[in-house]
Amino acid sequence: MQRFSIRLTSAALAMALSVAGQAAYAEQLLNVSYDPTRELYRDVNAQFADWWVKQGHDKPQIQTSHGGSGSQARAVVDGLDAQVVTLALAPDIDRIADTGKIPEDWQTKLPHNASPYTSTIVFLVRKDNPKNIKDWPDLIKDGVEVITPNPKTSGGARWNYMAAWAWAEKAGQDPKAFVGELFKHVPVLDSGARGATTTFAQRGMGDVLLAWENEAYLALNEIGDDFEIVVPSVSILAEPPVAVVEGNIKTDDQRALAQGYLEWLYTPEAQAIAFKHYYRAWDTSKADPEDVARLPQLELVNIADLGGWDKVQAEQFGDGGVFDQIYTAK
Amino acid sequence: MRIARSSPMPGFGLAMGITVTMLSLVVLLPIAALILQGASLGPSAWWAAVSSPRVAAALYLSFRLALFAALFNLVFGVLLAWVLVRYRFPGRKLIDAAVDLPFALPTAVAGIALTALYAPNGVLGAALPWKIAYTQWGIFVALVFVGLPFVTRTVQPVVEELDREVEEASASLGASRGMTLRRVVLPTLLPAALTGFALSLARAVGEYGSVIFIAGNIPLKTEIAPLLIVIRLEEFDIAGAAAIGLAMLAISFSMLFIINAVQIWSRRRIGLV
Repeated sequence: MQRFSIRLTSAALAMALSVAGQAAYAEQLLNVSYDPTRELYRDVNAQFADWWVKQGHDKPQIQTSHGGSGSQARAVVDGLDAQVVTLALAPDIDRIADTGKIPEDWQTKLPHNASPYTSTIVFLVRKDNPKNIKDWPDLIKDGVEVITPNPKTSGGARWNYMAAWAWAEKAGQDPKAFVGELFKHVPVLDSGARGATTTFAQRGMGDVLLAWENEAYLALNEIGDDFEIVVPSVSILAEPPVAVVEGNIKTDDQRALAQGYLEWLYTPEAQAIAFKHYYRAWDTSKADPEDVARLPQLELVNIADLGGWDKVQAEQFGDGGVFDQIYTAK
Repeated sequence: MRIARSSPMPGFGLAMGITVTMLSLVVLLPIAALILQGASLGPSAWWAAVSSPRVAAALYLSFRLALFAALFNLVFGVLLAWVLVRYRFPGRKLIDAAVDLPFALPTAVAGIALTALYAPNGVLGAALPWKIAYTQWGIFVALVFVGLPFVTRTVQPVVEELDREVEEASASLGASRGMTLRRVVLPTLLPAALTGFALSLARAVGEYGSVIFIAGNIPLKTEIAPLLIVIRLEEFDIAGAAAIGLAMLAISFSMLFIINAVQIWSRRRIGLV
């Protein structure tokens, strides 16, 4: 009996402590993001919290969750209690908007199509570039293997795919034939960008990895000198957008925090963090000039010039769309 | 009620109530939901969904490789059980414990470990003349790994119970070693081995975590049906995912039904029923 009462007391104590622990934070915020933003948001969350406290608020508790952009969007649709989403591409946020949790015109609420930073798609090749890969047409040469994730499940892979498409259009080739030929050179389809990087870097598969620019630099820094980045002549302007999930906001304080968080991403301080993590942000005023200069200049095609995501998503990646035809039409 | 009264064991009503509730909550309700979702398509749309080349190829791949892996485990699982029970050698206890590892290990860990070993730059992958990882062979290896304990663990107690005197009697009556094995030992082990085979098969059909790492996941070539279900879900095509799930349920059910029928036949044959 005595033992039981000790247990009960300690359980009550633990509960009281956890309640007290929560009360120390004014507001909580869950940011549901995509795969390669782990390092970026670790820095952003820390610096934003400091700034937010300086504005006279209590210290917020900010958490970030990462995963394939598509599955993250599905988690929010299925009820994950995210107050802000920072995903890889607009159609994934549109899916959440379809449920009514985000207003339909979310992309007009923040500058630059609600994308505080942009990126592009580059090639990562093995050291000294043994297959001599310089540009998109080299990817479909005999004996070249290309690693890219599955565009059905990975947001980054959809940017890869559209970058290839954009080059083929510019080069006057039939884009459908080029992309179809490209995927014949893909021996492994991972479900997300991180998985594809692992397959290429650690498993030694393939000759070239199509990757987010920031992910390619990260692989270079983390895994070492076995790789080189090759910048193609044409690539795509990848705009990973952000939005407040209105349907999951409970109080006015929480709304202020969520909006403040996303707006802060556009400040010179936050833009400098984005440059530091190899993102192409907009405002260079506070960024380290070296961080800006190391991102190479290249021709970037806007997704709007390819018809916009609404059209592209349905035509290319919908059920029975161009991507499905690559594998079923023989 | 009559059954309850005639049973000598007390507590039938309570035990039965808990059993039915538990079964309904964790097994029957999810399956009913799956059937409802799948049925919402209607028969012709359902057939169109599962007979498309990509889905048909994934289903064929999943069931074919699961069958091969379960057959492989049937042979080597029985052998392993026999060796572990009948022979005494150093390290036997260690091997015996290692058999359970595929149960305990998270399947993703198993998949990553197997991929690291069998990838073209892995220890085994570099030594072998043909490619294992990112081919159908890789899927086979992963399925063998996750299904191995089932046959061994179901057959082991039966081998322990097996009377050596029966084998000696068979030999003293003039049967050769092969004949004793064929006519005396194997028929006794068959019911348990079939149970293990069915469990191993069922596990292999549904296996996802380890396979997606080692398979190349290329449509029509190395894309398993469970992965296709996940892809359909990511596309928010819940009805399409349920259609594949329903097809897998139907095929699994008929396969397990056949295995159970063979098992009943083999038990009758050795006079267990």
